[in-house]
Amino acid sequence: MRQQYARRAQVLTFLMGLIALGIIVQMTRIQNSVEAAVFRQQASNYAYVLRPFYPDRGEIYDRRGHLLAGNKSVYEIGVDLNLVKDAHAIAFAVSEELVLEYAKILDTIQYPPQGLSYVVIADYIEPQQAINLQELKKALQEQAPEGTLGGLTGLQFRSHPHRSYPENSLASNIIGFVSREGRGYFGIEEKYDTLLAGNAVQVLVPTDPNKAFEIPRVPNGTTLVLTINRDLQASAEQILDESLLKYDAQSGTIIVMDPRNGELLAVAGTPRMDLNQFWNYGTIYNNASEFNRAISMPYEPGSVIKILTMAAALDSGAVTPATTYLDTGSILVGGATIQNWNQEPWGMQDMTGCLQHSLNVCMATLSTKMGAGTFYSYMDNFGFGQLSGVDLAGEAAGRLKIPGDSDWYPVDLGTNAFGQGVTVTPLQMMMAVSSIANKGRTVTPHALYAMMRDSRQYNVPAQFAGSPISEQTANTLTAMLAVSLESEGSQALVPGYRVAGKTGTAQIPVNGFYDSTQTNASFIGWGPVDDPQFMIYVWLERPTASIWGSETAAPIFSEMAQKTVILLDIPPDTIRQQLTAK
Amino acid sequence: MNIQNVNHFVHAYKIAPWRIQRQWIGSALLMVVALAMVATLYLDVTSQAAIAGREIQDLTAAITISQQMSGDLQTQLASLTSARIMQQRALELGFRPMVSGEAEYLVVAGYSVLEPDILSSAPLQMSALTIPPQYNESLLDWIDEKIIFSSGGIR
Repeated sequence: MRQQYARRAQVLTFLMGLIALGIIVQMTRIQNSVEAAVFRQQASNYAYVLRPFYPDRGEIYDRRGHLLAGNKSVYEIGVDLNLVKDAHAIAFAVSEELVLEYAKILDTIQYPPQGLSYVVIADYIEPQQAINLQELKKALQEQAPEGTLGGLTGLQFRSHPHRSYPENSLASNIIGFVSREGRGYFGIEEKYDTLLAGNAVQVLVPTDPNKAFEIPRVPNGTTLVLTINRDLQASAEQILDESLLKYDAQSGTIIVMDPRNGELLAVAGTPRMDLNQFWNYGTIYNNASEFNRAISMPYEPGSVIKILTMAAALDSGAVTPATTYLDTGSILVGGATIQNWNQEPWGMQDMTGCLQHSLNVCMATLSTKMGAGTFYSYMDNFGFGQLSGVDLAGEAAGRLKIPGDSDWYPVDLGTNAFGQGVTVTPLQMMMAVSSIANKGRTVTPHALYAMMRDSRQYNVPAQFAGSPISEQTANTLTAMLAVSLESEGSQALVPGYRVAGKTGTAQIPVNGFYDSTQTNASFIGWGPVDDPQFMIYVWLERPTASIWGSETAAPIFSEMAQKTVILLDIPPDTIRQQLTAK
Repeated sequence: MNIQNVNHFVHAYKIAPWRIQRQWIGSALLMVVALAMVATLYLDVTSQAAIAGREIQDLTAAITISQQMSGDLQTQLASLTSARIMQQRALELGFRPMVSGEAEYLVVAGYSVLEPDILSSAPLQMSALTIPPQYNESLLDWIDEKIIFSSGGIR
């Protein structure tokens, strides 16, 4: 009996083992079958999803933390073709909300490019419009009979960041803009495009929650802080706009810089554009050099360059401030006669008188006395004909012809000395003259104050481009320029503050001849003279109310300087000197 | 009961075939129970990891949305406090731009001009050290922590 049970047990064990083996064999067979491979392939299609990541482009702030360029969300509106229930309803709703062509949308949905399961209807849609469509989609879904889909099923919304400029056109010429493709154009946006841009990437993201650690971290772009003072920039633009109307000028530029370190505090120019509507660029500007004239538009500066001719003459020892000469009203240089601006002789003059009366003959005398080698060596050291190195895209170098160039003639030695036959940008001029205001050292202008990334801030140090003249020459020339302004009762004077500077009125060449009715009016000045904290350059192109820099650019300088001392908290000289004495 | 009877029972017990079978069955059941416990534990940990992974996915999406909202609000705030708007509001409130002659300067002993603090809006990047231990510790780490904690160990 016991043996019988034992045999039964053995048979049962064998059968159970056989069944278990069969199950294992079948499981192995199924898992390695052709069908299993197909299923695995299908499953792997859903294991990862291709997802676009749009890292935020770095923000841009002014030096006091005001946002100049940020990011905001906009929407891409598309259609998942596999889910569409009513293409007509989608086309109608989208066309009504976004004011788009109904037939075109319907055509896109009904006849999409082959192989696509998702088509984009519109992009860069404002959030409110997207919300309206989302609410409509939700309402239609709620109204649909139970178990059926709403009319807008398949309509998809994807938000992504988009560049936004809260100040609209303020400082547009410095900031530049970003296209919809994410590329920076002009100014800071172009110069630091690589730093600012967090590049959009398409990444395979695992749907398996156990692989959550594989979700990529796409770093955002670097945030930049500019040297620009927003309020000063706004004031400069306001003053410039009013001045263009007042003096009926074609265009203008005002630059405010700290001559001690080259920080650009304001760079106002015309015309400006609302950066949020960058697509209007083509209708506002005729060419790229008009976007920021301060760095891209070289012109013959006229008499403001006399500061540098005098600096070279003083520094080389050709003259001293007390050196006198007899102005006869004309001088022959290279076979051409050079005359004063009023074509009159000014008699005996010292060097301060030369500057005060802006005598062309005096300057031509100085350059010829120094000789071409010395004169052009100084001009080269002042940076003419070279890029200033400012950190803004689109800078032009200007042109300084030198002996040996095919188009240089001996007369150029005389005319270059008072700003004809040489082209510079306003910023190059500021850089060169900064050596006078900054004890002989030339500063490199820059617009970047600091960079911030990963909660760390890196401040950009001041850079110096050389010492073309001595400190003594710089101080002597500053005093001469201050005296010359005070002696003539210039409209550039600033009540309570001693300033130094020089006007410039340059005739514009038209068809190869200088037109006496069309001028570039300029003024460059700085203050306070004993401790320069601001340097201002004013350029008006073709003013018609008066062609003279002394009557147009000089008063603008004064107005800008008065605004600058308030916004930069610079006390009047008497108070400041009292404070220093204590 | 004499010693002979005792030996008889012991011998009978030793040769009883069902005792051997029970030992085998017991061992097999023990193994099955152990495997079941391990499988249960594995299933529990795996499911918890999956839930945590899903939460990470949700939180990552939430972080992205929050950052976008923050950027939107920051830009909106900047628009509302732009130079043009602020000047307009100031004029409406009866203020006017100051001219240089109106400024009065007072000497404040010991005061030095402070440079503005530029605060970064960039969020702190989460490093492995700042991630909660639940997200990166292994099962052995967790058991080790529990043992040390229950025994009053100092961590």
